[in-house]
Amino acid sequence: MILHTLNASPSSAAFSECLRIIDAGDALVLMGDGAYAALANTDASRALQCTGAALYVLAADAQASGVSDVADGVGRIDMDGLVALTEDFPRQQAWY
Amino acid sequence: MIYSLLVLSSPFSGHCSRSAAAFAQSAIARGHSIHRIFFLDAGTLASSANSVSAQGEQSAVTDWAELAGQHDIDLVICITSALKHGMLDQAEADRHERSSATISRAFTVSGLGQLVDACASSDRLITFGG
Amino acid sequence: MSKTDKKTVLMVLRHSPYGAGLAKAAVDTALASAAFEQPIDLLFIGDGVLQLQPDQDSHSKGMKNVGRQLASLPLYDINHVYVDAQAVARYNMDLSTAAVVTRELDDNEMHQLMSGYDHLLGF
Repeated sequence: MILHTLNASPSSAAFSECLRIIDAGDALVLMGDGAYAALANTDASRALQCTGAALYVLAADAQASGVSDVADGVGRIDMDGLVALTEDFPRQQAWY
Repeated sequence: MIYSLLVLSSPFSGHCSRSAAAFAQSAIARGHSIHRIFFLDAGTLASSANSVSAQGEQSAVTDWAELAGQHDIDLVICITSALKHGMLDQAEADRHERSSATISRAFTVSGLGQLVDACASSDRLITFGG
Repeated sequence: MSKTDKKTVLMVLRHSPYGAGLAKAAVDTALASAAFEQPIDLLFIGDGVLQLQPDQDSHSKGMKNVGRQLASLPLYDINHVYVDAQAVARYNMDLSTAAVVTRELDDNEMHQLMSGYDHLLGF
């Protein structure tokens, strides 16, 4: 069980390496430029949906980036929500 | 739970350093304790005493100063990274014959042993990078 | 810091040796961990494997030689070093004669490895 945070756009090595590693049972929080991976009807969000992991985006970062049409299955969370996730997941891998 | 944070992100690029400060605030609000926040590489710039934000903007430097003002948290900047980035406390400024200290008093300059200790002493180690 | 306070730590290194300051910061952290007798293992993913590229000579660039620093890991009892098999193949690297003994992992194996540690340090 790993909590992944992605702070890089879908065109980055961080995104593709995260995709390779992440597994069902993990969670992923998109932040910073990672929010763009939450855009609905994109290859990036479709790829994330196929991983089976629980998907989230930091709401403030999505808002800043103009990511308003968020893909199905990606939950908007605030910082309190991120802390809550770290309570449940013993370890975090930061991808950037 | 006991948390420590590792902050690698510069406060001057992207949101990540601000997010780290906000994470610390939320963790405290949820009843957790922060053992240490360790700043490494460009993250050490968060300790700047002299950074001036453009009007209408707030940088992470202000967020960290606010966090330090509200809570008694061990904010440590790694000495090697700090020196390279020009982040000096008075002792280092004297030692390296620089005209003045450049960091806020809320931060302590120390070595990587503090990061190692943070890993050993914490239930959660959260990294903020990029 | 008590010697019995042992949390297991895996450092995940994803960046090339000289492109950014992170590689050096990561290696310094690994060596510090060893100096304080706190166990640490290393996993190189993607461009991170380039830190193990043989024959690095950064002297003329005024930068510390990351490859040489890594070669000293066994002296500090850092013996569990893992590498991303896909990245090693992409860069056509032969690590059989590298100064550090490494074990190549596929994606599932890397996930399994990472899942076994108390803390992950993402560099």
